[in-house]
Amino acid sequence: MSRIIVITSGKGGVGKTSVTANLGMALARLGRKVALVDADFGLRNLDLILGLENRVVYTAIEVIAGECRLEQALVKDKRQAGLVLLPAAQNRNKDAVTPTQMKDLISNLAKNYDYVLVDSPAGIETGFRNAIAAATEALIITTPEVAAVRDADRVVGLLEAHEIKTIRLIINRLRPEMIRQNEMLSMEDILDLLVIPLIGIIPDDERIIVSSNRGEPLVLDSKPSLPGMAFENIAKRLEGKEEVPFLDLMAHNDNLINRIRRLFKG
Amino acid sequence: MSLKEKHSESSSNNKGDQPTVATGAEAGVSRAGNQVNEYSQVSLKSEGEKVLLILPTSGKTEQQTDWSVLWQDLKYRLQGSEHAWQAGTAVHLLAKDRLLDGRQLQTIAETLKEVKLQLKWVCTSRRQTAVAAATAGYSVQQEKMLPAINLEVEQSQQQQLAEPLYLQTTVRSGSEVRHPGTIIIQGDCNPGGIIIAAGDILVWGSLRGIAHAGAMGNREAKIMALRMEPTQLRIADLIARAPESPPSQLMPEVAYITPEGIRIAQTINFAKNNSFLKKFGPW
Ligand SMILES: Nc1ncnc2c1ncn2[C@@H]1O[C@H](COP(=O)(O)OP(=O)(O)OP(=O)(O)O)[C@@H](O)[C@H]1O
Ligand SMILES: [Mg+2]
Repeated sequence: MSRIIVITSGKGGVGKTSVTANLGMALARLGRKVALVDADFGLRNLDLILGLENRVVYTAIEVIAGECRLEQALVKDKRQAGLVLLPAAQNRNKDAVTPTQMKDLISNLAKNYDYVLVDSPAGIETGFRNAIAAATEALIITTPEVAAVRDADRVVGLLEAHEIKTIRLIINRLRPEMIRQNEMLSMEDILDLLVIPLIGIIPDDERIIVSSNRGEPLVLDSKPSLPGMAFENIAKRLEGKEEVPFLDLMAHNDNLINRIRRLFKG
Repeated sequence: MSLKEKHSESSSNNKGDQPTVATGAEAGVSRAGNQVNEYSQVSLKSEGEKVLLILPTSGKTEQQTDWSVLWQDLKYRLQGSEHAWQAGTAVHLLAKDRLLDGRQLQTIAETLKEVKLQLKWVCTSRRQTAVAAATAGYSVQQEKMLPAINLEVEQSQQQQLAEPLYLQTTVRSGSEVRHPGTIIIQGDCNPGGIIIAAGDILVWGSLRGIAHAGAMGNREAKIMALRMEPTQLRIADLIARAPESPPSQLMPEVAYITPEGIRIAQTINFAKNNSFLKKFGPW
């Protein structure tokens, strides 16, 4: 059974696209067939972060309009077998697509893949509704900021109303030193409010920005990095390995081994 | 825990066991009374062997409660009260003057089926709805715009409370629970979430959003929470907002009206406190 997972947040700029790209890569590296769908019509940039921009010919809109076949629109990743991207339209009217059309399109796509990850636009309007239309699971991205958590809470409510029951949380851009100084919401604060299970924590790390600019998702890097490992761990937990321990981002020592200690007991 | 007052003129800061909150009446608050009154949310009521599903009257609230809002409300109510009925219980839909087509009736039936309730009867004052319901195979009762329903509303204006609403849910940011009676939430009310009740409000969890008890004017209404850290508390026409810095210790607390405004007491002290209060008589 293929899994259709929407990656969403409510608030903009919290890392949905970065997570979609890296998580997709990580899942493909585990040998899974993965399709990434850019549902951020009008502001597409998943292709850019994946370094696939110059290979985009058709987009989801042409498929929906019947101007090309679905397979024609899929962009295969040259580095990672098993990973494809369904790009979003850049210029067409984003309101031209309905949730039903998106649902049909993504359900069709899902037949040939283990995972379909849908990168949702910010907000809770039409684009969001299109992005969640086919999803059976959701990953909520938030940062340790009051506004991001508030929006995440709103989105969780909307997903629940849409009967998406499997909803898990990723906390992005965590800065241990700020939490230590009580300047940022702690993970406990966030979990206490949202009451949904945590599936990953990603540190704030400029390598994510650098790799995005290069179009080379961080998990492809041969040098292991803390954020890269965070993405890989999320992929493993999605695969059902719930026991993968959380990275201990609060550890003082920079030594990687030291950091791979259990953060949460039980 | 002490809440800061909204209007600075009548400030009073009372540290100690039962900190007080001074409040001011706000024009905006009394308007909420009409909101609960209008039954603008879906309500579910057990009556003997059956469950009544009562839709809000359309009329003036038409654009406020369009079909999708109505349906979301219904799902929310059902999700929150999952174990309240036995499987297979028959449902009587009181659609009042609301227009429902065949597909909408089917959607309602399917939504009910998910929680093992069975739509059997449709009661409506609209001919089209009656035809759609009959076509779909439901027992139909068509009546003129029932004076009985108006009576019901009038009664509730005279502070006849509906039976309590018990929901097992998290009232998340952006959602609003309204009920012309007492509301009991097993779960949290998050910041950005709103609970409005004509009666009392009891949150068996953290109250961090806005709670408005006695929204139809009952100044004796109370708000109770295991953890009282609200954005705002309203009782009848009084309003109090949270202090800038949260209290260090959180205990089950009760908010109620005193001659000095909304006051919050620890639940364990409330009983004696409350009997003492009776001396003040009506205010
Ligand atoms: N963990 C991180 N550490 C540092 N920078 C990050 C991290 N995660 C994301 N960023 C940066 O934040 C910016 C926004 O990220 P991204 O585009 O993934 O967010 P988004 O949620 O998809 O935004 P939008 O809502 O606009 O679609 C990018 O510049 C990205 O490189
Ligand atoms: Mg994005």
